[in-house]
Amino acid sequence: MLHLLKIDLKKMTSYRTYWVVCGLYFLTLGFGAASGMEFLKWVANLFDNFGQKLNITRIPLYHFPDVWMNLIWFGGLLKVVLSIMVVISITNEFTYRTLRQNIIDGLSRTEFLISKILTNVLLSLMSVAMIFLIGLVTGMIYSPSIEISKILTDLEFFLAYFLEIFFFLSYALMLGILIQRSGLTIIFLLLSQMIESIITANLDDYVPGVIPYFPMRSIWNLIDFPLPRYAFQEIRDYITIASVITVVAWTTAFNYFSYLKLTRSDV
Amino acid sequence: METVLSISNLTKKFGRLTAVNNLNLEVKRGQVFGMLGPNGSGKTTTLGMLMSVINPTAGSYSWFGEPPTHHVRKKIGAVLEHPIFYPYLSGQKNLELNAMIKQCPVENIPNVLALVELTDRREDKYKTYSLGMKQRLAIASALLNDPTVLILDEPTNGLDPMGIAEIRELIKKIAANGKTIILASHLLDEVQKVCSHFAILRKGNLIHCGPVEEVTKGTETIEVRADAERLNELLMTFGGTSSVARENGYYQVTLRDNFHGKDLNKFLFENGVVADHLVTKKRSLEKMFLEILAEANH
Repeated sequence: MLHLLKIDLKKMTSYRTYWVVCGLYFLTLGFGAASGMEFLKWVANLFDNFGQKLNITRIPLYHFPDVWMNLIWFGGLLKVVLSIMVVISITNEFTYRTLRQNIIDGLSRTEFLISKILTNVLLSLMSVAMIFLIGLVTGMIYSPSIEISKILTDLEFFLAYFLEIFFFLSYALMLGILIQRSGLTIIFLLLSQMIESIITANLDDYVPGVIPYFPMRSIWNLIDFPLPRYAFQEIRDYITIASVITVVAWTTAFNYFSYLKLTRSDV
Repeated sequence: METVLSISNLTKKFGRLTAVNNLNLEVKRGQVFGMLGPNGSGKTTTLGMLMSVINPTAGSYSWFGEPPTHHVRKKIGAVLEHPIFYPYLSGQKNLELNAMIKQCPVENIPNVLALVELTDRREDKYKTYSLGMKQRLAIASALLNDPTVLILDEPTNGLDPMGIAEIRELIKKIAANGKTIILASHLLDEVQKVCSHFAILRKGNLIHCGPVEEVTKGTETIEVRADAERLNELLMTFGGTSSVARENGYYQVTLRDNFHGKDLNKFLFENGVVADHLVTKKRSLEKMFLEILAEANH
């Protein structure tokens, strides 16, 4: 297993595009997650213009345990950037025909797919580690009091975050394997949310019950948008088993489709 | 002799087109096996199936008597069609990656690079290489795991005459080490020079298979020129002559079986004619290839 991961990393570590995309992703993730206070100042400024006062220090954006869910929800928005890297990685193998040579050289198709999936796992874990680190640091800075019990609260959202990222990278990998061309795959990837929204909007009148099971919707359902809780609204601050099962089922399906396509086609 | 590759009833259809039709073939250890055929005759498709990148429609094959798995492929070095590497990686890094895939020691890399004379350029990116260097790197990569079988598909395609000669020498050098080589080519001269056995494919069908020396056996043709009047008639009176044709100022005498150039020479001398040009021409693979293809067309 580790051997297969090493093979895929070897392909990436000398490719400048990977480093640029990867660097941009983790920089944006890092700086973005750490600039929550700036965001609050901007919101407060907006309120000022309407003649209202908003005391931003009263909003516990970075307080344990709120910080976890806030950062995780925000971090989830950036997964598209990471998925583009996955698309480049897989479509390159088709355009350079290196997938063919890899198989000729003695890699099985399944091993090839596993090497790509393992990289996806690694990238997802790195995202989790990044958000955890930023959350820990900012939480330590902004929380009025540091209590272990509060730090340990809501950590299950990291599992959800991992599933969310891994789901999307698996989706990107599958699209890349099916479409095989980077430009087309990226366009399709960016449009999938919109396409799904159009479909679900039309289904809403007839079978609203199936909508939560649509792939893109299922990841929105995993982690609720956390900010309304600061406007005295109720949010779901826990993870439902149903949403986890839906996301895991889709992720499995995506990787299985990739497997079917890879093992059945001529390369 | 040990069978390295055995193909039985291998078939590949692309829609309505049958690229390879019911192919049966055996390659023994130590053979340099040439696969001949016009463009589009199914050579690359066959090799693609043997390396599991193309799924056969029907039939089967076995390597070393075992069913094909990716572990078996690690014992084979193959270059199909054109060299394929990661363009953004250096030659060295590409070979390191191949060594990881083939699970062979990276210590082999300097040796194969030296063999194909790419040591000086190993740190340069693959995309900066010339076509000849790319071909040579591909051969280096195929040799990396010290394979028992080497598959080369048009290894001299697009090379200049010097490059072709270099690759040919390389193939001979490798064959001399007792490796089995399967060489697909449409350059007949190339096959005749390096191969011990050959097969001819046409539109996916196997139309001939046998040793190369068989081709050059059989009737001889002697090219003659001499300062003599009525040489044509004299040549016709020779008992071993089967036919005489005049080409480019030379007489081409096709001999009957068991007659050789020295017999004709002696005959001419005894009749008071001294030839100033007398060459025994062996039948070329090219000629035989065209003959076989022409027969198959009927």
